[in-house]
Amino acid sequence: MKKELKIKVNGQPYDLFVKPNTLLSEVLRDDLGLTGTKRGCNSSSCGACTVMLNGMSVKSCSVLAIQANGSELVTVEGLAKGNKLSPLQNAFLDHGSYQCGFCTPGMLMSSKALLTENPKPTKEEMKEGIDGNICRCTGYNSIIRAITAVVKGEYKEAK
Amino acid sequence: MIKDFEHFAPKTLKEALALLDKYQDDCKVICGGQSLLILMRQGLVAPPYMIDIKGISELSYIKDEKDGLKIGATTTHRAIEKSPVIKKKYPVLAKMETRLASIQTRNWGTIGGNVCHGDPAGDPLPVLIALGATLTMAGSKGKRSMPAEDFCLDYFETALEPVELLTEIALPIVPPNSGTAYTKFNVIESDLATVGVAVSVTLGAGDSCQDIRIVLGASAPTPMRPKKAEAVLKGKKITDALLAQAGETAATEADPISDIYASEEYRRELIKVLVPRLTREAMANAKKA
Amino acid sequence: MTTKFSVLGQRVHNIDGTEKVTGSAKYTFDVVLPNMLYGKILRSPHPHAKILKIDTRQAKKLIGVKAVVTGKDTLGHKQGIWRRFPELCDEEILCREKVRYIGDAVAAVAAIDEDTAEEALDLIDVEYDLLPAVFDPMEAIKEDAPQVHDGVELNINITRHIEWGDVDEAFKKCDHIREDQFKCSSQAHVCMETHDAVASFGHNGKLTVWTSTQSSYYIQRLLADMTDIRESDIRVINRHTGGGFGSKFELDSAQFCAAILSQKLCQPVKIVLSREEEFTATKRRTPMYYALKLGAKKDGTLLAKEARVITEGGAYTSMGATALYLTGFFSSFPYKYPNYRYDGYRVYTNTAPTSAMRGFGAPQSTFVGESQLDMMAEDLGIDPIEIRRKNGMTPNYEVPGQAFIQSCGLHQCLDKIDEHIKERGKLPPNHGIGVASYGFMSGGIFNWFNTPYAFSAAVVRINVDGKVDVYTGACDIGQGSNTTLAMICAEELGIKLEDVRVFSGDTGICPPDLGAWGSRQTLMSGNAVKRAAEDCKNQIMEFAAAKMGVNIVYDLDIKDSWIHIVARPERGVSYYDIVKEAIRGKDGVAIMGRGHYTPHRKGMISPAYSFGVQAVEVAVDIETGRYKLVYVTTAHESGTVINPVGIEGQLEGAIMMAGGYGYCEDQPMDDGKILNPSIADYKLIRSLDMPETKILEIDTYEPEGPFGAKEAGEGLTNPTAGAIGNAIYKAVGVRINDLPITPEKVFKALREKEKKKAK
Ligand SMILES: Cc1cc2nc3c(=O)[nH]c(=O)nc-3n(C[C@H](O)[C@H](O)[C@H](O)COP(=O)(O)OP(=O)(O)OC[C@H]3O[C@@H](n4cnc5c(N)ncnc54)[C@H](O)[C@@H]3O)c2cc1C
Ligand code: FES
Ligand code: FES
Repeated sequence: MKKELKIKVNGQPYDLFVKPNTLLSEVLRDDLGLTGTKRGCNSSSCGACTVMLNGMSVKSCSVLAIQANGSELVTVEGLAKGNKLSPLQNAFLDHGSYQCGFCTPGMLMSSKALLTENPKPTKEEMKEGIDGNICRCTGYNSIIRAITAVVKGEYKEAK
Repeated sequence: MIKDFEHFAPKTLKEALALLDKYQDDCKVICGGQSLLILMRQGLVAPPYMIDIKGISELSYIKDEKDGLKIGATTTHRAIEKSPVIKKKYPVLAKMETRLASIQTRNWGTIGGNVCHGDPAGDPLPVLIALGATLTMAGSKGKRSMPAEDFCLDYFETALEPVELLTEIALPIVPPNSGTAYTKFNVIESDLATVGVAVSVTLGAGDSCQDIRIVLGASAPTPMRPKKAEAVLKGKKITDALLAQAGETAATEADPISDIYASEEYRRELIKVLVPRLTREAMANAKKA
Repeated sequence: MTTKFSVLGQRVHNIDGTEKVTGSAKYTFDVVLPNMLYGKILRSPHPHAKILKIDTRQAKKLIGVKAVVTGKDTLGHKQGIWRRFPELCDEEILCREKVRYIGDAVAAVAAIDEDTAEEALDLIDVEYDLLPAVFDPMEAIKEDAPQVHDGVELNINITRHIEWGDVDEAFKKCDHIREDQFKCSSQAHVCMETHDAVASFGHNGKLTVWTSTQSSYYIQRLLADMTDIRESDIRVINRHTGGGFGSKFELDSAQFCAAILSQKLCQPVKIVLSREEEFTATKRRTPMYYALKLGAKKDGTLLAKEARVITEGGAYTSMGATALYLTGFFSSFPYKYPNYRYDGYRVYTNTAPTSAMRGFGAPQSTFVGESQLDMMAEDLGIDPIEIRRKNGMTPNYEVPGQAFIQSCGLHQCLDKIDEHIKERGKLPPNHGIGVASYGFMSGGIFNWFNTPYAFSAAVVRINVDGKVDVYTGACDIGQGSNTTLAMICAEELGIKLEDVRVFSGDTGICPPDLGAWGSRQTLMSGNAVKRAAEDCKNQIMEFAAAKMGVNIVYDLDIKDSWIHIVARPERGVSYYDIVKEAIRGKDGVAIMGRGHYTPHRKGMISPAYSFGVQAVEVAVDIETGRYKLVYVTTAHESGTVINPVGIEGQLEGAIMMAGGYGYCEDQPMDDGKILNPSIADYKLIRSLDMPETKILEIDTYEPEGPFGAKEAGEGLTNPTAGAIGNAIYKAVGVRINDLPITPEKVFKALREKEKKKAK
C-alpha cells in the first residue's frame, strides 16, 4: 500500500505517494527526475547515490524513501545557486576532480556534507570524508586537492 | 528487488512493542536499514510487515549518568563518534566508530542495529564487551538485561526474542588505572574486520595486570573472550614473554574460519600478533588515564 | 617545449565538465523514453551444461511482462570482435544449446518495470543437463579434459608465437640465466556505470541504441552482424559513459538483449546490468601463468629472453586474442633484447570470459618482467636502475620484425626516478622503494575487426559566428578525449577552446572511428581531427589571402583568432570577420573540413610508443604482512602534453587501479563461481588507502602524433604491480610471484624466510 511522503528537495516541497519498499534514490531519480544522483552498486558500498538528508550525507540507495518523510534533502542539482556554481563545483572543475563523472555527484555531496559539518578539515579528515565513495577514474587525490582549495578559501560562495 | 511489505512507523517504544506482539514472526524490525536492506534486496529476508523504529526518539540518546553511560539503541554511529562525553570518557568507542563503514552509513545506521545484526565481524560489540557493557531489551511483558558478551549466540543469531527490542546499552564507569584499545585488521582501511581485537586492562600496584578483558572479533561465530589468555595475564606483572603466551593461547581458543579474505591459519597468526599489541596499547592508555 | 602552443598544455576545464559537476550529464543509465520497457536477463547458474528445454510460459503470463526471448528467438549468429576469423567468433550471447560459464545468458524479459522483469526471471524454467566443467587452464589443456567448445583440441583457443634472433644460441653465451614462474590474477573493471543500453526499434525498421560504450561503431557493426539489420539502419549513441577501462567495446548482453526485445515489440527497452552481473557476466582481465627465462652477461647486458604463457581464456574468445599477442609483445618491453622468443596459449575454460582491460596484457608482462629483472640485477650485483639503463630502449630503435620506435624518453625517465629515489634519502625501517619501467602503444595497427573504414575520421564545421563543431566517432569514456580533440582543433585553427564544441560517439552523425581502446584516440582520432581542422584552415586562408591582398611570398597563420602574416603578426584580420565573409563567398555553405587517419606501415604494431618509470614506496608491518602504499612517483613521457590536467588524472587513476591489481583486487572462484561479486567483497583502493602521488615531467616529441603527442592512458597501468613487488622485496626481503601481493602472502613469505634463517 502506498504511503504519503512529504519531503523538501533542494528547497522545493513535494507531496508524493510511494510504496514502502521504494528506496530514496528511486524516488529522487524516477519520481522527481533528479537523475544526477547515481547508482553504482545499490548496496551501500560505492557512494554514487550520496545525498544530504537534514544536513548529513546518506546513501540514498540504502534509505527507505518513507524513512525520509519530513526531511530536507539536497542533491547534486541543488548545489549551484541559479546560474552560479558552488565553490566545490568550481574547485572540481579547476582540479580535474572527475573523469567519467559517474561518481562525481556522490563525491560532491560527500564533500559538501564534510564541509558543512567541519569547515576546516585536515587532509586525513578529507580522505575520511570521501572514503565511502568509490572513484574508479581519478584516484581521489585530485578531489582532495579541490576540497583543500575550497577550505583555503580560494572559492567564494555565490550570493 | 525488495519484496512489498506493510510499513509501520511507531512513535513510541510502547507502540512498537504492541506491533511486535501483534505480528510476531511475520514482522521484522528495521532501524537504519544499513544491514537489513542488503539482506532484503537479496531476498534473504522478506517480511510482510516492517516495524520501523528509526523515528522513536525516546530511544536515541547518550546520557552521562552517575553509574555510567547510557546509549539508546537508535543512536547513530555518527552521534557516538562525535559525542564529546564519549570522546572524553570512552575514547576507544569513538575511535572505533571512525573506521566503521563510511560516514554515510554511520550517519544513518545505529548502534542498536549493529549489535542486533549479530555480525561476528562487527566492530562495536568487541569494544562494548571489553568495556563491560550491559544490554537492555524490552518486550511487551517487560524488560531484561544481560552482559553484552552473552548477547550473541551464533553467526547472526542473538538472544533477542522476535517480540523484543534492544533499547539501551549501558557502560559502567571506567575503573581508575584502566585503559582500553581496539583495532581491526583489514586490507582496506575502512573495511570490515578480518580480525578485530579489543583489550581492556586495569593496572594494579607496580603496573601489574589487576584485571583484563580480551575480546576477539571475526574470530569465531560470535565475538568471544579468550578466557585462558586473559588468565595468562591476570594478576601478573606483564612481560613480553607473557604477552606472547597470551597471544598464543588466544589463537588456540579462537575458532576462526577460512574465507576469501583470509585463511583460518592467518587469522590465528593475526590474533597472536594483535593480542599482545593491543594489550600494550591498552596499558599505555591506562597509564595516561 | 609547450610554450609555442596557445591551447595545448594549458590547464583547462574538460569541455563537458559543467555537466558532470551539476549532475546534468545524461548517461545511458539516465535515458528514459516514452513507452519504455525494462529488461532483465536470466543467466546460467551452471558452469557447463546442455540446455534441454526452456519453458517461458509462466513468465509470459505474469501481468506486466511484454516479451520473453531465448536463443531460439535469435538468428543463432555468433559474435566476436575478431571478425576476420570466423572461428574466433564464438559467442551467441543468448545461448541456444549450451551454457559455458556461470553467467552465460539464456533468456531475457521485457516488462513494464524492473521489479516485474525480475519476478518473471524466477518463472522461467530451464532444464539443464549438467556437463563436466574445467576451470583451470592447466587442467583444460590435458588430454581428457572436458571440451568447452566442440572440436577445439585441448581447449586451445589461440596460440601466438613471436621470435627473433637465435634464442637458444644466445642462452649458451650467457653468464647467468634465471628461470622463474609467475601467476597473474583476474581483475574486474568495476566501471561505476554498469553495462547498460536502451534500444528502440521502430516500425520503420530502424534501431537506435543508447549505450555506455567505448566504441559506438563496433557496437553498430556487431549488432548488424547479429540481427541482420543493415549497419546504417542502426544508430548507436554514446553521450556520457561512466567508465570503460576495456570492458565496453564488445557487444554485451545488455545491448543485444535490449535490441532483440525491442525488435520484437517495437517499444524501447532499457537494460541495466546489476553490479553482481557486472562482476560475473561481463569480461575481465586475463589471468596468466607465466614462465620466464632470462639470460645476461656479467655486466648486466641482457642477451636473451624466453616467455611462455598460458592464459585463462574463459568461455569465449572476445578480445583475449589481442591480450595474448600484446602480453607477448610487451614481455620484451622496454628493453633491447637481441634474442627473444614468446609462446602463448589461450585456453578455453568454463569461467567468465577474459578479455581487454586497461593495459591489455602489458600489466601482466610488466609485473613478471620487472620482478624478474630485479632478481637478475640482484644476482649480478647491479643496481636495478643501472640494469634498466644498460638495456633500455632508445629513440629510433627497431624491435626486430615487430615495431619501430621513434620517440623514446625512457632514459630521461630513469634519470629522473634515480634522482627522486636519492632525494627520498634514508627510509624508515621496513620501508622500501621498488621501481618498474614500462612502455605502451598508441593504438594498434591491426584490423582483425575487418573494418572497411579509416581507423579514425573527423568532420570539422565552422559556422558563421566562427564557432566550430567537431564530429568524431571517438568515445569520451571519462578519459577526456572530447577535450583533447577540442584542444587539438582549437590549436590547429588558432582559436579559443571555448569556440569548439564536440559531437562524439553517435554513429548517426559522426564518421566512424574504432573508438576508445588501445590508447588510440589521442594519436589516431587526434590526427583525424587535426587534419579536418587543417582542411578548414586552408579554406579560410584562401579567403584571407584574397581579402588581405598580401604578397604571394608571405605565408599566413592564425593565432588567438587573428589571421596574420607570419613574418608581420600585426598585419592581419579577425578570424571571425573572415569566416563570415568566407561563408558568404561560398554561397552560404558553412566551412567543412574532413580528415582521417589510418596508420600505414607505421611503427608496425603501433605508430608510437610511450615510456615511463615508476617508483613505489611501501611500508610493511613485518608482524602481520600488512603493508601500505606510501608514495608513488612516476616519470612518464607521452610526447607533447596536450591536456596536463587530463594526464594527471590518468596517472592518479591508474595508480588506484594498478595499485589494486598489485595489492588486493582479485576474483577468487569456486568451481567457476566468482565468490566476491559485490563492491563490498571485491576490494578496491579507497581514498584512505591511496598513496601520495607525484609526476615527473619528461619532454619528448613524437613525429607521428598530432603536435607530437602520444598515449597517456593505459601504459600507466603497467608498472605498479611490479614496482610494488620490488618494493616489498627491498623493504623486507621477500618476493611474491603471484598476484595480488596480499598481506597474507607477504606474511607467509616472511615466516618462510625466518624458518630458513633459523636452519
Ligand atoms: C558498506 C557497509 C559497510 C559496513 N562496515 C561495517 C564495519 O566496518 N563495521 C561494522 O561493525 N559494521 C559495518 N557495517 C554494518 C552496519 O554499519 C551496521 O550493522 C548498521 O549500522 C546497523 O544499523 P541499522 O540501524 O542500519 O540496522 P538495521 O539494518 O536496520 O538492522 C539490522 C538488524 O538489527 C535488527 N534491529 C535493528 N535495531 C534493533 C533494535 N533496536 N532492536 C531489535 N532489533 C533491531 C533488525 O531487525 C536487523 O535484523 C557496514 C554496513 C555496510 C552497508
Ligand atoms: S548506489 Fe548507493 S552506495 Fe552504491
Ligand atoms: S570519475 Fe569515473 S568513477 Fe569517478
